[in-house]
Amino acid sequence: MSANQNKLIAEIEELQEEFTKTTNKLIKDVKRQDKIMARSDKRQQQEYDELQKKLEEVNSLQKEIEETQKEVVFTMGAIGESRSKETGNHVKRVAQYSKILALYYGLPEQEAEMLKQASPMHDIGKVAIPDAILNKPGPFDEAEREIMNTHAQLGYDMLKMSKRPLLKMAATVAYEHHEKYNGTGYPNQLKGKEIHIYGRITALADVFDALGSNRCYKEAWDNERIFKMFKEERGEHFDPKLIDIFFEHLDEFLDIRESLKDTF
Amino acid sequence: MNNLNIQETKYTPKIDLDFENNTVSIIGKSYPENTFEFYEPVIKWIEEYFNNTEKDTISINFEIIYFNSSSSKLFFDLFDLLEENNETNTIVINWIYDEENESALEAGEDFQEDFENLTINLVIK
Repeated sequence: MSANQNKLIAEIEELQEEFTKTTNKLIKDVKRQDKIMARSDKRQQQEYDELQKKLEEVNSLQKEIEETQKEVVFTMGAIGESRSKETGNHVKRVAQYSKILALYYGLPEQEAEMLKQASPMHDIGKVAIPDAILNKPGPFDEAEREIMNTHAQLGYDMLKMSKRPLLKMAATVAYEHHEKYNGTGYPNQLKGKEIHIYGRITALADVFDALGSNRCYKEAWDNERIFKMFKEERGEHFDPKLIDIFFEHLDEFLDIRESLKDTF
Repeated sequence: MNNLNIQETKYTPKIDLDFENNTVSIIGKSYPENTFEFYEPVIKWIEEYFNNTEKDTISINFEIIYFNSSSSKLFFDLFDLLEENNETNTIVINWIYDEENESALEAGEDFQEDFENLTINLVIK
């Protein structure tokens, strides 16, 4: 009996030992898991913080790049203007007119905004036109006119190598803003919708602003004269759809002209 | 016994298990899709190594740049296995880390703390 009892105790003691061993191992494992989790949480937090920081940096760099691009493009436009006989806020007004023409024509907001930034560069090719021709007080003879007209091609050549969407757009604008809807423009006598919409839009915006502004060599045209000319040139110089948009939203164009008028 | 070499991938480290030279090296990033499946042959190889070898000196080099929590668990299990064989073999573990990699250093310290009987050297790369 006592031997049996002893055996039982021995068995229980063995079980107890096993149990202690197992529970100790379990406790060790759980502690280990907790430690792994705590470390992992800490690491995740650090990684997330790091990612956030990097993301902020990337965003701020992105913004910096965009701002720089805008500024460069705007400055290039201003350089182009300084070489032409346009002055003051011409560049800014052309930009605004181009954007609303683009929007009403049905281009997406982002594209319209890009055109607003690219359109001021339409005359950038004039930086390569000799001063003697550019600053000539009187009318051009045929040879001079021909040289003058190369500014569209020159502007295109300056910008066409770029892979940046904005500069590519500016290249198109520079190239095609003197094309006419009826195919009598330059440099390529493109006709109708062969002329890119960016070119058709900038053509109208540029002419509208040039006619309505005072220059040392000419008085500003009054509105009636401009409107009459635009109606005559509907489908000739200008895209008829853009002329329709222009007259439909005339108030907006006049508001822009008023708010950005030259102060001299 | 054959050597076992596993090439590095985007998520898994380069692993060289060298029987003749008694070296194990695990180098790179460790966040496999299925950690335990990935390391299964490695654990098996090490178990077999201890079964096949007389008392010997084995050196184990870890150089883990980045690891997920299941890798961390697996390394603990691996250290358990090493500890079990520590008395019959001389095991030297080198935990190699980059000075700027705080988590790698902390993991090394955790192993030192949990495995007092093992020789674990923290080595700055």
